[in-house]
Amino acid sequence: MPEHVTTEQDLVKEIRIEARPETVFPFFTEPEKLTRWLCVEATVDPRAGGICKQIHRDHDGTLYHLSGQFLEVTPPHRVVFTWGWEKPETGTPPGSTVVDVTLEPDGEGTLVTLVHRGLPDTERDGYDGGWQGLLEKLAELAPRS
Amino acid sequence: MQQAIEAISDPRRREILRLVRASELPAGAIAAHFADVTRPAVSQHLRTLREAGLVVERREGTRRLYRARPAGLADLRAYLDELWDERLEALREAAEVEERSRNARARDN
Repeated sequence: MPEHVTTEQDLVKEIRIEARPETVFPFFTEPEKLTRWLCVEATVDPRAGGICKQIHRDHDGTLYHLSGQFLEVTPPHRVVFTWGWEKPETGTPPGSTVVDVTLEPDGEGTLVTLVHRGLPDTERDGYDGGWQGLLEKLAELAPRS
Repeated sequence: MQQAIEAISDPRRREILRLVRASELPAGAIAAHFADVTRPAVSQHLRTLREAGLVVERREGTRRLYRARPAGLADLRAYLDELWDERLEALREAAEVEERSRNARARDN
């Protein structure tokens, strides 16, 4: 094993939504609602270990298949799933990075914090550190075959 | 950019990226590292990585040499940064529409 140095920085996004957590949460777990903002098709089994498959459409219309797994589903507070694309024809293993979503009540609305883990921190450590950090992280997250 | 994500979802391709991170290597040396993978399969992996912008290929006579292109991963990060901004804005709009219709239904009942 190469020396493990955690140099990657997680991608963190926050957005305030004028809707209660109970309203927002199903947008991460119900296909009919996932397709209203994230993807064009979704097949999900929203419980820890359940599948989370999505088909995304790029700006140019190209379809991409994303295959992942739910790691945690705690309505209406937190949902965590693995994130990795696969080409259906090559059948590459799913799961390369992790998306961790937390919903906090904020007055009449919800503060949504989305953390995408396992990405390189190119600004802080330069390409090399982020590169190694990403590969180490990916190796940890990758399904054992 | 999804190509890059697909490319790194395979454990063998991640191993290849590690090999060519510090030094440029000929395809043969990369293939020799994998006892259980055929040479054509390694070539295919290298092609996938090259098409995703994660490795650079250079020809020297009949040899093909490969080295990592870390900027490819910086692109990946920038791509996801923008993607989540766009998608979360779409989530906000969709959830607020849903909330308003829920509230309207509650008032009607």
